[in-house]
Amino acid sequence: MQAKQPLLKVEDLRTYFGTPTGILKAVDGVSFSLNKGETIGIVGESGSGKSVLVRSIMNILSSNAIIAETSKVHFNGKDISRLRHCEAKHFWGTQMAMIFQDPMTSLNPVKKIGTQITESIRFHLKASKKEAIQKALELMGQVGIPEPRKRLKQYPHQLSGGMRQRITIAIALACNPKLLIADEPTTALDVTVQKQILDLLASLQEKLEMAMILITHDLGVVAGRTQRIGVMYAGKMLETADTKTLFRNMNHPYTEALFKSIPRIENQAHSRLEAISGYPPDMTRALLGCRFAPRCRYAQDQCLNEEPNLFETDQADHQQACFFPVGSPENKQAHAVNQKTGITAAGLALTAAVRS
Amino acid sequence: MAGCGKAHLRGSTALLSVEDLVVEFPAGRRTTIHAVSGISFDVLEGETLGVVGESGCGKSATARAIMQLPPPNSGSVIFDGEQMTQLSKENLRRSRTRMQMIFQDPISSLNPRRKVNEIVAEGLSIWHTDSDDIAIRRVHAMLEAVGLDPKAVENRRPHQFSSGQCQRICIARAMILDPKLIICDEPVSALDVSVQAQILNLLTNMKKRYGLTLVFIAHDLAVVKNVSDRVVVMYLGKICEVADPDRLYTHAAHPYTDILLASVPKPDPHMPIPKLQITGELPSPINPPSGCRFRTRCTKAQDVCAVQEPSLQKISSNHFVACHFPNETSTHVAI
Ligand SMILES: Nc1ncnc2c1ncn2[C@@H]1O[C@H](COP(=O)(O)OP(=O)(O)O)[C@@H](O)[C@H]1O
Ligand SMILES: Nc1ncnc2c1ncn2[C@@H]1O[C@H](COP(=O)(O)OP(=O)(O)O)[C@@H](O)[C@H]1O
Ligand code: SF4
Ligand SMILES: [Mg+2]
Ligand SMILES: [Mg+2]
Repeated sequence: MQAKQPLLKVEDLRTYFGTPTGILKAVDGVSFSLNKGETIGIVGESGSGKSVLVRSIMNILSSNAIIAETSKVHFNGKDISRLRHCEAKHFWGTQMAMIFQDPMTSLNPVKKIGTQITESIRFHLKASKKEAIQKALELMGQVGIPEPRKRLKQYPHQLSGGMRQRITIAIALACNPKLLIADEPTTALDVTVQKQILDLLASLQEKLEMAMILITHDLGVVAGRTQRIGVMYAGKMLETADTKTLFRNMNHPYTEALFKSIPRIENQAHSRLEAISGYPPDMTRALLGCRFAPRCRYAQDQCLNEEPNLFETDQADHQQACFFPVGSPENKQAHAVNQKTGITAAGLALTAAVRS
Repeated sequence: MAGCGKAHLRGSTALLSVEDLVVEFPAGRRTTIHAVSGISFDVLEGETLGVVGESGCGKSATARAIMQLPPPNSGSVIFDGEQMTQLSKENLRRSRTRMQMIFQDPISSLNPRRKVNEIVAEGLSIWHTDSDDIAIRRVHAMLEAVGLDPKAVENRRPHQFSSGQCQRICIARAMILDPKLIICDEPVSALDVSVQAQILNLLTNMKKRYGLTLVFIAHDLAVVKNVSDRVVVMYLGKICEVADPDRLYTHAAHPYTDILLASVPKPDPHMPIPKLQITGELPSPINPPSGCRFRTRCTKAQDVCAVQEPSLQKISSNHFVACHFPNETSTHVAI
């Protein structure tokens, strides 16, 4: 695995927005790589920069976005962060494709399904109309759409949310992309439909040897559907590892806290949830030190003044960005200090951190 | 209309008792949306009744029918001994203060032009005759109870708060009227997990502190399990199963509950992903299937399922299922 060139390599990606209240650092120095056929899950709460991260990779940002000169995005060894729009356009679909939380982001409400699928096939594959329809029917079968011929003549609003998402998957797969970016593809769907779509993505991925970036805020979804995980918070990657390693060893206090705060179906009714106090930071403010410090139960003075970078852990291929990683002697020490005073260096009362 | 069974009702001791509730909407061309089709359930004082089911199954329509917003097409809603469907406007208004509702989208359920203290006091100034001073003190106490700093928030407006904070404001607004029952319609569905736990814990605390009774509606099965004393599973306007949460989640008897549970992604990478998957699409509520409404997607369906509607039957203490071929639940308790 090591020597191979990764399919995607993101280095120190920084995407900032000019806003009326100042510069908003939506993605602030994120690096990761992804091998051919591999799936990485990006988790994090809303506003943490997940969508901006993948939109930066896809090169589909709004005009008020600035990507730092030093940021690099390599795809198959080629720097794609500075492709011109017309070059990028051909890249979409053939090399990488994206699906969104709301299928209507990519579907046109006033165009028939058939037109929308065949348009993209004809654009990228230079196919004739007849060939394109044939290919469209084939794709629709592949993504499990019943009665595909009938659907060709229908409009998006005539389909259920799950069926619409299948259509966007069919369009995304039209040219066998090597990378599929799925930005919360199932967040708006019911749990049984979510399972159908995730099962579908998994089987297609295996068949087409396609890599995937799967964005979600559901730790259950990443656990079962990814090989690697990146945990984002306030524009930073706070922890990244092999999925099994991460679930065994949550080293970053945010990852640990996030995991403990979710109600789990295996737990007894009325089990106490360990909520995380407070709310994510305002990203237009200058953030000194660790971004999670105000909500972290282990925070020390160092966390307020110095920004932790991603450190290697003692497991291979596992990095985390905390001075006092969970499970370390430093963490035990920090925990003991805070327990004693009942308050963290950032002023968080520990009783509050545990209760509500 | 075929009954859906009432074996699970607990009689006159219930604080809220809903029977044969029907909610329908006209759908044009003389067709009807059968949103809720003759369901019955009750909630004991101090209990949290969880209601789960996928979107469109009639959870919100049920909640609104209980509040008489609008009243159901038919059926009875007895709250605290009063038949809600027959109250005069004035009496209904009075009853509603004892029955409050919290919604999924906290930001849009708050008036953007009003300050937090006005929002929370809204109900007070209309229903009570407290002097301003007492009202303000009550507002402050309530803001504090929901974990907000009264001095810091009272003069701010909703857009200055995150959705989690707005949900706290909504809870304060509901609680200040000292209700007996709160109907929570997806109260944490729009919140991030880290904030969701804060609000769930807050609701649990408020319930203990003020002796509340809750109807807790959500589509997230783990959330519902966490807060509920009893869970109702709905599908396409009908109740499939009613049980104690710990029992429901380990011994689901209805084929639909099985599929729902198998669909929940488990936060453990070592757990295999179940093969079980729902087939087909949700039928239209305009023309729901005859007999058992789940039959078109059910692997166990036989001819009888199309002809006869299964009614809720007791299969063990505090466990009821509406299915002609329910799962053998292994620890079958003799009735
Ligand atoms: N076009 C834009 N202009 C200004 N700010 C933006 C824009 N797009 C996103 N943001 C901000 O960037 C941050 C990250 O957003 P996003 O990547 O969408 O978060 P996520 O997908 O993790 O929920 C948020 O604070 C969001 O408000
Ligand atoms: N005001 C309305 N007019 C017409 N149809 C409605 C209305 N409200 C709800 N419905 C329909 O009734 C059914 C039940 O809806 P709802 O109770 O909102 O479901 P849930 O809350 O379980 O998602 C759905 O088919 C929905 O489309
Ligand atoms: S009654 Fe029949 S169709 Fe309905 S759930 Fe039971 S077996 Fe399935
Ligand atoms: Mg997003
Ligand atoms: Mg609803």
